Amino acid sequence: MIKAPLLILRKDLLVLRHSPALLGVLIAYPLVIALLIGLTAAYANAKPRVALVDLDGIPHRVVIAGKSFDVDGLIDQVAQNVEIVRMSEGQASQQLQSGRVAAVVTIPPGFVGELKGLVTSPHLTLATGTGGITPRVRQQMQALVYNLNRKLQSAFIQADIEYVNLLLHGGSGRVLGRRFSIIGLDGTARLLKQLPRSPQVATIEDFVNDARLALALTGTAIRATASPIELDEVTGQGRTSALSAQVQAYGLAITIAFLGVLLAAGALAAERDENAIGRLVRGLVGLGQLVVAKVALAVTVALGLGLALLLAFGIAVEAGDVRGGQPWQRLPLVLLGVVLAGAAVGAVGALIGGLARESRTASLVGILVVLPVVFLGLVPSEIVPVAAWISDAFPFAHAVRFFASALYDGSPWRVVGEEGAWLVGLGAVFGVLARLSARRLAA
Amino acid sequence: MSVAPLLAARGVSRSFGNHVALAPTSVEAHPGEVLALVGPNGAGKSTLLAILAGALPPSSGSVERGDGVRVGWMPQRPAHYGRLSARQNLELFARLEGVGEPDALLERLELPDDGRPSAALSVGNRQRLDLAISLLGDPQVLLLDEPTAALDPRQRRRLWETAAAVRTGGGAVILVTQNVEDLERVADRVIVLLDGRVVFDGPVAEYLRSEAAGALA
Repeated sequence: MIKAPLLILRKDLLVLRHSPALLGVLIAYPLVIALLIGLTAAYANAKPRVALVDLDGIPHRVVIAGKSFDVDGLIDQVAQNVEIVRMSEGQASQQLQSGRVAAVVTIPPGFVGELKGLVTSPHLTLATGTGGITPRVRQQMQALVYNLNRKLQSAFIQADIEYVNLLLHGGSGRVLGRRFSIIGLDGTARLLKQLPRSPQVATIEDFVNDARLALALTGTAIRATASPIELDEVTGQGRTSALSAQVQAYGLAITIAFLGVLLAAGALAAERDENAIGRLVRGLVGLGQLVVAKVALAVTVALGLGLALLLAFGIAVEAGDVRGGQPWQRLPLVLLGVVLAGAAVGAVGALIGGLARESRTASLVGILVVLPVVFLGLVPSEIVPVAAWISDAFPFAHAVRFFASALYDGSPWRVVGEEGAWLVGLGAVFGVLARLSARRLAA
Repeated sequence: MSVAPLLAARGVSRSFGNHVALAPTSVEAHPGEVLALVGPNGAGKSTLLAILAGALPPSSGSVERGDGVRVGWMPQRPAHYGRLSARQNLELFARLEGVGEPDALLERLELPDDGRPSAALSVGNRQRLDLAISLLGDPQVLLLDEPTAALDPRQRRRLWETAAAVRTGGGAVILVTQNVEDLERVADRVIVLLDGRVVFDGPVAEYLRSEAAGALA
């Protein structure tokens, strides 16, 4: 029962070995996929170009509320996330139209003066394009304004606290450009002690003491009301996104989907191309056994290439000294997923091969089927639920979720169990359909 | 003949869509008999042979095979794996048939054993490879579809020696041919197919005198 499929599998592997061009494509394919994913990841991490139009002529350093700000330093901090390019208003408008910059930030005339005045809030203007990157740029610019406000806020709070300290301890200061000197509450208390005791003096002394106690708490209170919730950032704890679970999971699933479908479809249809199907179905190999052999071919190649991809990713992760490293102990679980996914996509391929009856047609139909299935699997279900439903009817999306969970979930068993069951179920359904379609080969 | 046939087709027919390739036809192959199927292109000869071989399911009717009778089939078109060598093809089919190593057949049919893929062999060599595959397991019935089309005279003579050996061993041969010389040399009986129907069934000598032979000449 199992001997005939194994002999056909061995034959198919021999045929693969005798096909150097096809073998080369099979080896190169995962590398190309990994490269494409890497490029996509790099694009995702690329800095959007943002034009800065300075109509106020801001100097390199600005003193606000008695605190000196390094304008260039602030821009450099923002440039960690976006590439800020200074240009004229006309240039910026032109480049925004042509899409060469993703957004234009304009600093209007009188911006710094308004800021120094501490009376009204000056405005920055953000003009964005219409590309897919716009929401990201908008977020970056909102983050920029947030960060600037935080830095200014601390300067303003410091200035306010200094005024309070003047009230408390006395001294000289400046408000709206006018200098002043006050004795403060400390000085008032000292003066009161020099006055003859009386009920009125005692009442004023009580007020001064209360006021000193209250104002002593003002600094903390101002800081607390300015920032009711503080966010402490702890960076460098996670994996780099380029080698994250999704990248590895998609790399594996795309490779297995393409190769499994194309190999199984081509190999089954080739039995008819080679005119060997007639010999086989004369009691040597049943059509069901033939389908099993092609599914086994998909699984075997998926295992080989899947392992190679995982090792390549692992070496890249270790060489890149990525925090957390490659989860090597999860390798057997991922390989189990590779087997299930390989079998399920192999069954899809066998179905296509049976229907197409001719290997070239089968390969073409295989690509035409796999491409939209892969794209549907990439569409988030929250955005287009229908795409997710259609995608769920094919093994690709389940393979992605299985691999992602097996690689990085703390407790992957529920997801792996569910997605594994999906893959087994889909494999069985497509396997039965493939067996039915294989009748066309012998007809 | 009163002896039970080794292989028999009982009212087999085959249609491809609306096209009737073979009308209901009955054929028997008896021990020690060489039966020739003749007829113009598209008459249904190869279809009948494929049905007798079990390679093509009939649309109606049935094929009966004697107990333990092995049937070897050499189709008209090459039916082996072009990327595998002659030896690899023979080894694969020998294992699937559950018979021993095919070295003797390789040697007997003078097949190249240099590891070249069979797709790179000459048409004649590919035809001999198909013959070798059909001879795996020493079949009692040999079905040959235009077996001499690409063979040189020496290989043709060897083929007929092989067919004669099957016949003298108590087996039967059914061959499709367009060659009168083949008929005179090896056939005992001739069946003429025309448009999927049997129009003549009789001894070779009778066929050669018949109108059917004249029409096909």
